[in-house]
Amino acid sequence: MRIKELIRTLTLCGLAALMALTVAACGLGDPNNDVIITEEESKKVVNLFSPMEKTEPDAENTARSAFDKTIIMAEEQLGVDVAYRSYTAEDYQDKTYDDVIVDRVRNNMDDIYLLNPDIVQTLGEEGKLVDLSDLSCVENLREVVKTANMVDGKLVAIPQEVVAYGLFINKDMFDKYNLELPETPEDFLECCRVFKENGIETPVGANRWWLETFVFAQGFADMYNGGDTEAEVAKLNSGESKYSDYMRPGFEFLQELIDKDYIDAKKAYVSEAIEGEGDDFLAQKTPIVMAYWGAANTETAYGNPDFNMQVIGFPSSHGQMPVVPITGFGVGAEAEHLQDAKDTLEVILSDEALQVYTETNKVISPSKNVKVDCVPALKPLNDKIEDNVYVLASNAGLKLEQWGNTCLIVRELLNGSTVDECMAMFDKLQEESLNK
Amino acid sequence: MKKGQDKSRKDGGSSLLVSIIIVFLILGVIVFSLAGRISKEMSASAIQNLSESLDLIECTIEAILNNEADFQKLIAQKVALADDPEEYISSYKKNSTMVKLSLIAEGQTEGISNMGEKFTEEGLDFSAGWEVEDLQISQSYINYMGTWAYTMKCPVVRDDKEIAALYIEYVYDSLDKSLPEGFYNDTALLYIMDAQSQRLVLKPKGMGERSAGHLNLEDFYHANDIKERELRQKVDSCLKDGKNILFYHTIRGKQSLNYMWSVNEGSIYLIGYVPVEAIQQESRAVRHNIFIVVVAMLTAFFLCCLFYYLNQRKQNKIRREREAERELHNKQLAEALQAAQIASNSKTMFLSNMSHDIRTPMNAVLGFTALLALEAENPAKVREYTKKITASGQHLLSLINDVLDVSKIESGKVVLNMGNFTLNDLVSSVDAIIRPMAEGRKQSFHVEVTGIKHEYLLGDETRINQILINLLSNAVKYTQEGGNIWFRIIGMKQRSNQFEHIRIEVEDDGYGMTPEYLETIFEAFTRAENSTTNKVQGTGLGMAITKNIVELMGGTIDVSSEVDKGSLFKVELELRIPEEQADKRFWRERGIDRILVVGSEQETCENIQVLMKDTEVVVDTACDLQAAVNMISESNRDDYHLILLDWDETELGGISAAQKLWECTAAPILFLASYEAKRTESVAEMENAEVLCKPFFVSALKEKILEMQEAGKVAAKLEEEDNNSLEGLHFLAAEDNMINAEILSEILSMEGASCEVAENGKLVLERFERAQEGEFDAILMDVQMPVMNGYDATRAIRALNRSDAAKIPIIAMTANAFAEDEKEALAAGMDVHLAKPIDIGLLKKVINRYVNGKE
Repeated sequence: MRIKELIRTLTLCGLAALMALTVAACGLGDPNNDVIITEEESKKVVNLFSPMEKTEPDAENTARSAFDKTIIMAEEQLGVDVAYRSYTAEDYQDKTYDDVIVDRVRNNMDDIYLLNPDIVQTLGEEGKLVDLSDLSCVENLREVVKTANMVDGKLVAIPQEVVAYGLFINKDMFDKYNLELPETPEDFLECCRVFKENGIETPVGANRWWLETFVFAQGFADMYNGGDTEAEVAKLNSGESKYSDYMRPGFEFLQELIDKDYIDAKKAYVSEAIEGEGDDFLAQKTPIVMAYWGAANTETAYGNPDFNMQVIGFPSSHGQMPVVPITGFGVGAEAEHLQDAKDTLEVILSDEALQVYTETNKVISPSKNVKVDCVPALKPLNDKIEDNVYVLASNAGLKLEQWGNTCLIVRELLNGSTVDECMAMFDKLQEESLNK
Repeated sequence: MKKGQDKSRKDGGSSLLVSIIIVFLILGVIVFSLAGRISKEMSASAIQNLSESLDLIECTIEAILNNEADFQKLIAQKVALADDPEEYISSYKKNSTMVKLSLIAEGQTEGISNMGEKFTEEGLDFSAGWEVEDLQISQSYINYMGTWAYTMKCPVVRDDKEIAALYIEYVYDSLDKSLPEGFYNDTALLYIMDAQSQRLVLKPKGMGERSAGHLNLEDFYHANDIKERELRQKVDSCLKDGKNILFYHTIRGKQSLNYMWSVNEGSIYLIGYVPVEAIQQESRAVRHNIFIVVVAMLTAFFLCCLFYYLNQRKQNKIRREREAERELHNKQLAEALQAAQIASNSKTMFLSNMSHDIRTPMNAVLGFTALLALEAENPAKVREYTKKITASGQHLLSLINDVLDVSKIESGKVVLNMGNFTLNDLVSSVDAIIRPMAEGRKQSFHVEVTGIKHEYLLGDETRINQILINLLSNAVKYTQEGGNIWFRIIGMKQRSNQFEHIRIEVEDDGYGMTPEYLETIFEAFTRAENSTTNKVQGTGLGMAITKNIVELMGGTIDVSSEVDKGSLFKVELELRIPEEQADKRFWRERGIDRILVVGSEQETCENIQVLMKDTEVVVDTACDLQAAVNMISESNRDDYHLILLDWDETELGGISAAQKLWECTAAPILFLASYEAKRTESVAEMENAEVLCKPFFVSALKEKILEMQEAGKVAAKLEEEDNNSLEGLHFLAAEDNMINAEILSEILSMEGASCEVAENGKLVLERFERAQEGEFDAILMDVQMPVMNGYDATRAIRALNRSDAAKIPIIAMTANAFAEDEKEALAAGMDVHLAKPIDIGLLKKVINRYVNGKE
C-alpha cells in the first residue's frame, strides 16, 4: 500500500516537473539568435556540357543515373558543384549538338564537354582541349581508347564507356519469317527483301546520324581485323590510298537500301536518333534499327522491349561487325575552372567510379580493370568485342576526320546525291586534310 | 434492489465514459478543423510566397533587360556621334553580357559586327514585336557561342535622322548570375522560356533536378505528363496574353504547383514547378506538430479510458468480493440457523424419546416394586420381579451412560486411554457379550479373523470394545430371529511398519436401512424410527458415539445397507504395534519349536503361520488326517511339540482323529473349535488335549498352553476365587445419600462384612483420625459430598501422620464414572475407582485385591 502511494506521488511529481520544464522551454529564447549573419560559401563550380536525352514521365534515365552517381562521387570527394548544361537539337533545322559544342568550346563557355568522336578530333586538332595524359586514370585505359583519342600525341578525351554500335534486331520477327541473323551485306539485303515482301514497309529504321555505321563496318572490316592497320592509316594520311575506296562499298550498299525502299531516306534525313525510328521499332513495325550499346539498357531508348531483342554487329565481309566510335570527356584548354575540371575527370574516370558506372549501365568499360556482365540482348555484340572483332568508327590518328564527315556525306546520300558525288566529297576532304 | 444498484452504477460509468468520448471528439474536431485552417492559410501564404519570389525574379530580369536597353541606347548615341561608326563598332570588345555588336547602315541590308565579319539581319526574328524600353527584341536563338541569345535593335539617330541600326546580342547565361541560387531548397524547377518559340533558353543553376532535360514547352509537358487539353489550352491562352498562371499538377508522383510567369509583358516566361510539400514546409511542420498533439491527446484519452476501465474493474471486483462475502455470511448464518433449528428439533425429539425411554423402564421398576410389595411372601414371584427390576435398571443405566458419552464427545472431552491389548481378548470379550444376545434371538453369529499379522496392539481397548458392541448389538437388534451376523477382523496391507491396518466388518442380513436414513445414521439424536413407535429400545446415540470414537482414533467408518437385505458396517483403524511383540522366550522355555496344524482350511493355516511368524515356532500344516499321520511318521516322533486339530472339520472325526494321531506322537493336541461348536465337552475328559476357540490367536494359544501345563495351579486358583468373601471385614464408608448408604450396608452385611457410614468427607476424616490402627480394612469413598468431597478427604487422610494413613485402601465409589474421574481419584490418592451402581461381584474382587492382597 505504501509502495503504491509512493509510486503515485513520484508519478505526479514527475508529470508536474515535465509540465514545468515544457512551459519553461516555451518561454526561453536564445539571445544569440537575434543577429543572424550569413556568409555565402564560396563553392567550387565545374560546368559540364553534355547532351540530354528527353525525359519520359516517371521514367528513370539510366544512362544519366549512372553518370550522376560518378558525378556525385566527385562532388563529395572534391567539394565541387558540377553544374549541368545541355543542348539537344529540336529538329534537323536546329544547330546540332556537335555544332553547338564546337561553338561552346571555342568560346570557353564550359569546363568539361562530352564530345562525339569527330568533335574530339576537330577540337583536338585546334588545340582547344587540354592533354589529359597526366591523369592517373590513364594508365588503366584500354589501348583502343588511347588510339582513338590521341591527337598530335595528346590524349584529348576519355570516355566512361566504350560505345559500340550494333544492329538492334527484333528476333521474333526474324523467327516469324524463318530468317537467319545476317552476317554479310548480301544476307542483310535478303532479309530486307523478305520483310518487304511480307508487308514490312520499312525493314530498316534509320535516322540522320547513325547510317554511317554500315559504311564503317564494310569499309574497315579488313583494316581492323587482320590487315596492317598502321600501314593502311599511313597510306591514307599520305594520300597513297584513297579514303573513298574504303567508303564506296558501304555507300553503294546504302544506296541499294534506299533504292529498294528498305530505308525511308526522306524520313531518315530529318530524324533525330531514336526519336525517328524508335517508336516503330518498339511497336514491331520495323525489325531492324541501329543504335549504341547503352540503348539496350536505357528505358528511354530500347531498354524494355515487348519482344526478343538481339543486338548484333553490322554486316561485313568478316561477318557481324560492331562499330566502335570512341567518344569522351574533354576539358576546354582555357576552361575557367581547369584544375577542378581535371580533378573531376580524375574521379569520374577512376576505376572505382567506372565500376559503378559500368555496373549500373551494363556497358563496356574503358578501363582494363573493370568488367561486368551485360544484358542478354547484348551478348552477341559483346562476344564479338571480347574476341577483339570490331571496327573503329573514329580514329584521331587519321588526318581525315571520319565520324562526323561520313555522317554528313551519308546525309547527302539521303538527300539525293549519288554515290559518286559522295565519293568525290571524300576525295575533296582527303585532299584538304593532306594540305593541312 | 441489488441489480438496480448495479445497473445505476453501470449507467453512471458508461455515461461518464460517453461524456469523456464526446469531450475528446469535440477536441478532436476542433484540432482537426484548426489544422485544416492552418494548412489552408499556410498554403495560401506559400502561394503568395512563390508569387513574390517569381515577381522578384521577374523584376530582376526586367531590370536587366531595361538596363541593357538603356545601355544600348547610350551606345547608339555614341555611335551616332562617332565619326566612323563602323570603326567604333569594330573597336568594341565583347563582354559576358553583350557578346556581339553589329551595325547596319540605314538603307543597307548588310553591316559589320565587332567580330569583324559581315552582319545581316538573317536569322534574327523581330516579327513578334516584343520590345524593351521601345527597343525591338528578337526571338531567342543559339548564337555563335553555342548558347541561347537574343538581340535588341536600336536605331542610331544623328540629327533626328536615323542613320543606322545598332544590333547588340545578349546571352541568357548572363541572367543566371543575377538570379537566386537554388529555389525552394533546390526542389523547384525553373526555366526561362522564349515565349514566341516556346524554347527553354535557360535553366538557372541550382534550379531543380539535374537529370530533367527539357527543350521546349511541349517537352516540358511531355516529361511532366501534363496532358489535360483544357489545362493546356488555358495555359496557352495565358501565354498568348502575357498573363501569369499557376496550376496544381502531379509531377513525378508529387503534387506540385506549376507556374508560367510572364516577364517583360510576356516576351519571356519563367516556367517550372514546385512540389507542394516544398512550398508548405512550415505547414507540414505545423501539421506534424498538430499530429503529435492529436496523438498525445489520443494517448491521454486512451490512458484515461484504460485507467477508468481498470479502476472500474477493481471497484467491481471489490464489490463482487464483498457481495460474495456477504452472501457467504448470509448462507453460513442461514445454515447455522437451520442447524440450530434441526438441533433444537432433534433435541426436542430426543427429550421426548428420552422421556419415553426412561419412563418405560422406570414404569417397569415402579410397577414391579409395587407388585413386589404385594407378592413379598411368594419367593418365586419375588425372584421374577427383582430380575425384571434389575433388567429395567440395567437398561436405564445404559441409557444414562450413552447420554453422558454423547455429551462428553460433543464437548470434546473424550480422551483415549491407550494401552496394550490383544485382539484375542477383544474378540473374546465381544463374543462373550454378543453371542448370548444372538443366541437369544436364534441368530447365527460368525466370527472370522483373517490376515492379521500382529495381535498385540496399542490402543484404547475399552473404546474399541464399545465400537464393536455398538455395531454388533445393533446388528443383533435389527436382524430378525434366525438371521445371520458376521463379525470379521481383516488385516489390511500395512501402510507403515509401525501400524497394523485392520478393517472390522459387521454384517447382517437383517432389516437394513433406507438411503435417507443412511444419510443421518451417524448424527446424534436420530433413530431409524421414533422410539415411541418402535419396538426396539435404544437412545439413538450409539452410531454417533461410534463414529466419533472411530474418528478420534483416526479411523473411518462406512456403511452400506439395503432395506430387507441387511447392512454392512466397515470400520478401518490403524493401531500401533507395540515394540515388544513376540515372546520368543515363552516358547523356548516350554520347548515348543514346531507345531502341526491339521485339517484346517488353507486360509486358517496361513493365518496361523503369519501370527506365529515372530515366535520362531515352525508351523507345519496338513490338509487331512492321513497327511498329518504321514508327516509325523516321516519325522521324528517328538519333532512336533503341539498339534492343532480342527474340530469343525467333521471328516477328521474329532476325538478319534486325536487318538489316531496319538498313535504316532505323544504331543498334546489342541482342538480348534468355533464357539458354536458342540460336543467339545468330551475333550475336557481327555488328557493331553484341550479346546482352543476359533479364531486362532497366539495369546489364546499361550494361555491354553499355560492352562494345560499348570492345570493344578488353575484348580487352586479357582478354589481361591470362591474364597473371595468379605467375611469379617470392617469398612468406613463415605456416603451422603442415605438410601445408597443403606444398600451398601446391606450388601456388605450380606457378605459378612460390616460398615460404618459417614455423611461427608470431613466426618470420614474425623472418624479415621479417631479410629484405632487396623480398625478399618478399607475406606469406601463417595466423591460428591457436602462439606468435604471425597478427593479432599482422601488427600487429608493420606496426609495424616499415622502409619496406616498411606496404606489403607481407599476405594472410590462414585457416580462420576468417566476416565477423568478415575484419573482424578487416583491422583487424589485413592487406590481404585468403582462406578456406581455398585456391582457386588466387582466390589468383592476389588476389596479382595486391595485388602486381602489376592489377585
